[in-house]
Amino acid sequence: MTFWIITAVLTASASLAVMYPFLRRNDSTAEGEYDLAVYKDQLAELDRDVKRGLISTEDAAEARAEIGRRIIRMNAAASAEGGKSGAAPVVRIVAAFGILAVPVISWGLYSYLGSPGVPAMPLAERLQNDPAGSSIAELIGRAETHLASNPEDLKGWETLGPVYMRLGRYQDAARAYRQIIALGGANANTYSVLGEALVGMADGVVTAEAVASFEKTLSMDPKEPRAQFFVGLARAQEGKMDEARALWTNMLADLPENSPWREVAGQALAQRGEGTASEPANAEGQASDDQQQMIEEMVARLDARLKESPDDPEGWQRLVRSYIVLERKEDARAALERGIKALGEGSPSANDLSTFAQELGITLPEEKE
Amino acid sequence: MTRKQKRATIIAIGMCFLAVAAALTFFALGQQTSYFYMPADVIAKPVAPGQRIRLGGLVEKGSIERMDGTHVKFAVTDGEHTVKVGYEGILPDLFREEQGVVTEGTFGPDGLFVADSVLAKHDENYMPREVADGLKEKGVWQESEGGSKNGG
Amino acid sequence: MAVELGHFALVLALALSIVQATVPLVGARVKSYQLMRVGETVAIAGFLLILVSFTTLVHGYIVSDFSILNVWENSHSAKPMLFKITGTWGNHEGSMLLWVMILAFFAAMVAVFGRNLPPSLRANVIAVQGMVAVAFLLFILFTSNPFTRIIPAPIEGKDLNPLLQDIGLAIHPPLLYLGYVGFSISFSFAVAALIEGRIDAAWARWVRPWTLLAWAFLTGGIAMGSYWAYYELGWGGFWFWDPVENASFLPWLAGTALLHSAIVMEKRSALKIWTVLLAILTFSLSLMGTFLVRSGVLTSVHAFATDPARGVFILIILLLFIGGSLALFGLRASSLTSGGLFHPISREGALVLNNLILSTCTATVLIGTLYPLLIEALTGEKISVGAPFFNLTFIPLVVPLLLAVPFGPLLAWKRGDLLGAAQRLQFAFGAVLVVMIGTYFFSDKTSTAAALGLGLGFWLIFGALTDIAFKAGVGKNSLSVVFSRLKGLPLSVFGTAFAHAGIGLTVIGLVSVTTLQIERIVLMKPNDVVEAGGYTLKFSGVTPFKGPNFTEDQARFDLTGPDGRRLGEIAAAKRLYPARGMPTTEAGIRTFGLSQLYVSIGEATPNGLVVHAWWKPRVTLIWIGALVMMFGGGLSLCDRRLRVGAPTRRKTAVEAEA
Repeated sequence: MTFWIITAVLTASASLAVMYPFLRRNDSTAEGEYDLAVYKDQLAELDRDVKRGLISTEDAAEARAEIGRRIIRMNAAASAEGGKSGAAPVVRIVAAFGILAVPVISWGLYSYLGSPGVPAMPLAERLQNDPAGSSIAELIGRAETHLASNPEDLKGWETLGPVYMRLGRYQDAARAYRQIIALGGANANTYSVLGEALVGMADGVVTAEAVASFEKTLSMDPKEPRAQFFVGLARAQEGKMDEARALWTNMLADLPENSPWREVAGQALAQRGEGTASEPANAEGQASDDQQQMIEEMVARLDARLKESPDDPEGWQRLVRSYIVLERKEDARAALERGIKALGEGSPSANDLSTFAQELGITLPEEKE
Repeated sequence: MTRKQKRATIIAIGMCFLAVAAALTFFALGQQTSYFYMPADVIAKPVAPGQRIRLGGLVEKGSIERMDGTHVKFAVTDGEHTVKVGYEGILPDLFREEQGVVTEGTFGPDGLFVADSVLAKHDENYMPREVADGLKEKGVWQESEGGSKNGG
Repeated sequence: MAVELGHFALVLALALSIVQATVPLVGARVKSYQLMRVGETVAIAGFLLILVSFTTLVHGYIVSDFSILNVWENSHSAKPMLFKITGTWGNHEGSMLLWVMILAFFAAMVAVFGRNLPPSLRANVIAVQGMVAVAFLLFILFTSNPFTRIIPAPIEGKDLNPLLQDIGLAIHPPLLYLGYVGFSISFSFAVAALIEGRIDAAWARWVRPWTLLAWAFLTGGIAMGSYWAYYELGWGGFWFWDPVENASFLPWLAGTALLHSAIVMEKRSALKIWTVLLAILTFSLSLMGTFLVRSGVLTSVHAFATDPARGVFILIILLLFIGGSLALFGLRASSLTSGGLFHPISREGALVLNNLILSTCTATVLIGTLYPLLIEALTGEKISVGAPFFNLTFIPLVVPLLLAVPFGPLLAWKRGDLLGAAQRLQFAFGAVLVVMIGTYFFSDKTSTAAALGLGLGFWLIFGALTDIAFKAGVGKNSLSVVFSRLKGLPLSVFGTAFAHAGIGLTVIGLVSVTTLQIERIVLMKPNDVVEAGGYTLKFSGVTPFKGPNFTEDQARFDLTGPDGRRLGEIAAAKRLYPARGMPTTEAGIRTFGLSQLYVSIGEATPNGLVVHAWWKPRVTLIWIGALVMMFGGGLSLCDRRLRVGAPTRRKTAVEAEA
């Protein structure tokens, strides 16, 4: 709003600049006066030169005559021109044009060229003020550029890692924690969070790599709750519910009263049903109903996420694979098709995706030709 | 002298001066402009020893040899042919293997190009103009970004 | 909001320029004083708006507002504050905004200080200035808008070319632009006079101070640019006959000619047609320089062809203004009456000679600059016209001019006495002989060129002194009379003397460096020693150093004077700016009196560090001479007769003003 007020004031003053001469009393000097002043000056100068002896008297007389001739010529020209102040209507029309042109041209052109809604964004303000929302991305960007040029800055990576985790940028988080490990700043917690990031990258599946990372933690701190929980989850996902339950129960016993992990482990236990522990109903290698349900939810989430941000080649590969694992071939094929379209047909990442799918036995029906 | 004569004198002096200036300019344009050659051009139509030219191309990989003191030898290539160049002095900041370079000087009797000035590209956007055009014709170099920023 | 206000102010300035280019023109035609006056208020308002716009952009740089495309491309938050500010005009868009701001500044100056001009001339001058402004504002807004935004805004900028991060850059382009955009005023005066069809001695009197002002700025700008190249590029050179340098030198040569021909026109009402033509050509050369530098033609014909929008736009502006003004000139030139008579040997004759030589020099430099472009466009053959061409043509042409300079001011108007002038110069000539003999026998190197060249420099200086001495009547009068006459001399006499002596100083500097400089290129290991000009440098080693946005390896040298006294350290460096991954060479420079010791380093080899050291005798005179020329220009401007806006109005008008 202020912006528009200021622009309006600016425009008004600019128009005023055009109008100003019409608001003033008309005072003018005849054209000839100005020339005469110059010639009078020249005559005076000539006198000084004569006095100083820079010019002979004869030459001076000649020069004086020459200047005199200029004055006469000027007077003749002035009287020939005659007349003053031109036609009033023309003046009024031109003045009106001038005054109108200012707002019309400026507002018209600015509405075409400008971006009035965009605020100024001084860097300091962007980095200091609003810590919520978009400025986090900016803070991260700032930290990233810093770390790009100073990759040995352990403190920087330690700050950035948890931020990535909270934002769900698991891949970046994994990179950060690996860097911390490479720089020698790792402790039990580092491996544990790295494991969680790897789980996040695999959309909830505790991969072998993640398990290795958790086990590294447990070798350093056998009671670390996060690692304990995820190792349990890994067992559960492999269908070894007994082992999972045993791990979680142990973990609950060791946890202090106020630990947030109590709730997490308790919930996991409750979900898997304490009572089903001894039931050998589910054969080895076959996923339980719970697990099936969990995986399907995850796949659905991935699917939804890819609809929102489709520029994610890895995501599409994972989605296709997931559908194949779930034995939903039609969906897999559909996902492949959507993925190729989203990545741009013929683009390198789309080609990668189709080779990847081919290896898994999924191809698109050949189009005509 | 009459007015006409005065005028004629002035005009005559002016004309003489202009004639001298024009002769000088044409002489200098004939003598002092140096044509730009790529190594292939040198092979195709040999340059007489002593004639001043500009030789441009890429610094061939592994060709930079330091002789005694500040004397340097390197080879300029356009991908097909190479020409050996000798130079004494400080090489520019951006003089590197496989980077564009323009050298100016004359061929010695032994076929070595003796450069008295070596220019490398100014910044990462700027390839010496002739080199860029020449290499592009040969398809050796692809333009990454055109133009350079100039503050003047 | 601030950014968009700047953008809006620029658009509004365009609207005002359109009014400025049209309304006063009509006003002058129908003789309406009110319409004519519109030009003045609008010119001032337009300048203020562009100033607001420019300030906004500078502010954007200061606070690193990377939502502005231009700031993002050319700045970096880690850059020192000074270079953030100077970065504003260190790029295409920003420098064009500065260009047009200076254009508007001159129009506003005419509006404020042009009270001694007849209203119709003033109105026309301001209108023509407005036309140029319209063209360049359109160019900026549509092809090089510095206020283009990027959303979302990046978090870090791409940095400025490190070569341009130098204090010289802070002052150099503004001064240079003040000069070569300043000639737009001479151009506007010429076109305005042609529109009115009335060109007389009074016109020359009015146009001179403006030309002088632009000339003084341009002199300073060129000198500053030359010093920047000398100091920053690390090659020890100060003038390369590079097309970009020529682009500023050409208007200077033409402007110098204009300055002198306007004197003839004012005093004798002669050379009218020529003076008007020169005024048009001078600014045309400025426009051409802008085109060459800004269109990218020089960097690469290829780059120009792939992104021709800017180049073609400036080319159209160029053709429109040069073509239009020359057409107008063709129409009106025949109606100009010729002026007073003069003998070839006279002040007028001398000034004609000056013009003849200067314009020939201009033509030669112009040919050398455009010839390679022309050949490439016509035949595709690539040639380069470098320093040897310019040295071979420019120097022989300009030396006769410099030899003749001391005679000019000593000759009388209409009919001069060459013999008398020569007699008056006999003392100067004697002094010059002494200098030449002294140089030949007593300088470090025996060089005929040095003796002749230094003689020429001193000839100019002693010539200027002779002029003052003669005008003060030295030798004919007692000391007190001489003193009072000195006080009575018009300032412009001193201005002329200073400007001519300034050229002398520059010549001395140029000749000393080119003929007497001592250059050493050596490989050095720690504790090695190199000697230049009597000074001894002992290499003490290389130490790394980290600046705000660069890292460098500093090579340190212990300096010992000719008398064996230790003079501290001198450091040269190789610097790396990581943001662009670009290395630069930082020369180590130490000044002794007028001379300098200049050290720059090359790469480190297994056998040691390549070190390039120069002893540059009297090198600073090159730039001191330019400053003296500028000072001379300033003195002339202060002369009551030439002063911009000298109080020549009627008393009543002055009262009405108050």
